[in-house]
Amino acid sequence: MIAAVAIGAGHDGQADLIVTLRFDNGRTSHVTLDTDAGLRLMRNCKAKDISELVGHSWHGILEGMTCSI
Amino acid sequence: MFDLIIKGGRVVDGSGRAGYAADVAIDGDAIVALGALGTNARTVVDAAGRVVAPGFIDPHTHFDVQVLWDGAARPAIEHGITSIVPGNCSLSLAPLKAADRRALVGMFQQIEELPPAAFTEAFEWSWERFGGYVDALKRNLAINVAPLVGHSVIRLWVMGADSQKRSARPDEIAAMQNLLRECLDAGAVGLSTSFVDVDENLRPVPSRFAYRAELDGLAKVLGEYGRMLQVVPEFYATDLTIARIDQLAELSLKYGIPTTFSPLFDSAATPDNVPRTMARVEEQFARGARVWPQVQTRPIDISFSFEHPSLYFARFPSWYRVMRLSRAERIAALEDAATIERMIGETGADGGRAFMGKLVVRGGEGAPDALAGRTLESIADERGEGVAQCLINVSLENDLRVPFLAANVGHQDASRVGPLLAHPLVHVGASDGGAHVTSFATYGDTGFLFSRYVRETHHLSLESAVKKITSDTAQIWGLPRRGLLQKGYAADVVVFDADRIARGAEHATFDMPGRGMRYVRDAIGVDTVVVNGAIAYRNGAYTQSRSGSICT
Repeated sequence: MIAAVAIGAGHDGQADLIVTLRFDNGRTSHVTLDTDAGLRLMRNCKAKDISELVGHSWHGILEGMTCSI
Repeated sequence: MFDLIIKGGRVVDGSGRAGYAADVAIDGDAIVALGALGTNARTVVDAAGRVVAPGFIDPHTHFDVQVLWDGAARPAIEHGITSIVPGNCSLSLAPLKAADRRALVGMFQQIEELPPAAFTEAFEWSWERFGGYVDALKRNLAINVAPLVGHSVIRLWVMGADSQKRSARPDEIAAMQNLLRECLDAGAVGLSTSFVDVDENLRPVPSRFAYRAELDGLAKVLGEYGRMLQVVPEFYATDLTIARIDQLAELSLKYGIPTTFSPLFDSAATPDNVPRTMARVEEQFARGARVWPQVQTRPIDISFSFEHPSLYFARFPSWYRVMRLSRAERIAALEDAATIERMIGETGADGGRAFMGKLVVRGGEGAPDALAGRTLESIADERGEGVAQCLINVSLENDLRVPFLAANVGHQDASRVGPLLAHPLVHVGASDGGAHVTSFATYGDTGFLFSRYVRETHHLSLESAVKKITSDTAQIWGLPRRGLLQKGYAADVVVFDADRIARGAEHATFDMPGRGMRYVRDAIGVDTVVVNGAIAYRNGAYTQSRSGSICT
């Protein structure tokens, strides 16, 4: 699930979403989403701001990335 | 009598050894002597008080198109760069069938942001084969070029539209192998591929449809020539990057080839990314593999405007909601008092000063000249407005097109980036020169290396910094006779002031075909640049020399 979200600087000079994922075994990892993927993720999760992404399934990230990155 | 003597400078020869006093003599395109040489030459360049170094080599550029109409790849040469590697990230201008040009232009524009006129007015597209592209380049070069051939265009040539639909059959892989051989014979320095990039419709570029057998087959051909494989890994996820490092290491060991991947950059939001990546790089080098991570010197900025949706404001619900509206609705919302009140309220009790006061108004087509380069808080104070209110008003007054910049928000921590750049297994590069031209300036990274990490933070000595961007690069890429100031080497030389060399401030210019805009940075502290024995740049001006070559 999504454990935390921050906004960071992307390689292409755009704002990226930096998502922290927590897995069932307790381990965490990061994935960085560019503008298209990040906006798609927020739409899919119906998030009003990035804080509302927390708690959503990481599957939303895969859907967000289908047409980007 | 020599053709040229560079006299009285401190030679930093690219090997890493301490600088020493010597003159440098050049005949034709080669360095022929170093030492106390007098002035018996057709041309003498006074280098007293200056460093004389090998020309810098930029291993990650997208100058493929620009260098056809601007053989100096401006402003690369004035920053001391004498050799560039275009064709990165799976995209090159050849081999390409005439019928596929439109498809490739879309991919290029997604990355490079060049205006359409760059492809239709600035050069005559007369080739299909890689050799034809190389011949076209040779007619106008002031800089040396070591072109990569792109995996995506090789795939497009062999598979057509299916290149963005499916994996390749064995016969198609064999055809790609033969085509790659042809490109390498014609002067390609290696193959580039990407696991990340998309075309203008956000579809994955062709190289991303390749299965492992295809990349293995192409790496086998690279092994026949000992040439480079350049890769854009899934840099947005450390675990995937590490998996690609392992894949590249296996190809490197199996076929005896060098590989390089980019970008690798530091971010406070993902602090374990660089350490974990470098740990795996070190493991693979210890096994004998060559997997060079490319690291850029410049910090990363974030730019945005109200013209297009940006995630920059996604932490504020009202701002994010407005950003997602249609253009007309967005303007209406920004003119609505209740909406503005909510937006400003979300930025804090200080009216947004802490969060956005340091934003800079960028130059370009969308911003009034009087505001370009100024911080938002200075403009707000002058206008007697709150900072967030000022951002909204300035955007509205300029049809939403004003670009703003949050500077130095990634890869900016010198205590982390400095040691990374100095790491012996880090390949300094990833400038992206010639790409993202309307988003940010990809020029001046070499000057920034010296101003920031040599003079300011002392993470690298002058000699080691020069070595990083000259002989190290030449050796990693197998560029013959480049990267050292030694007798017999190509006469690529930069003369600069070690106390001043730096990158200038970013500014907009309209020198693209069709008066297209791009952001650039001018050079500071570079006096003279020599390419293959001819002066290409001196005292702030380019010469008419066309001494560049295909340097593979």
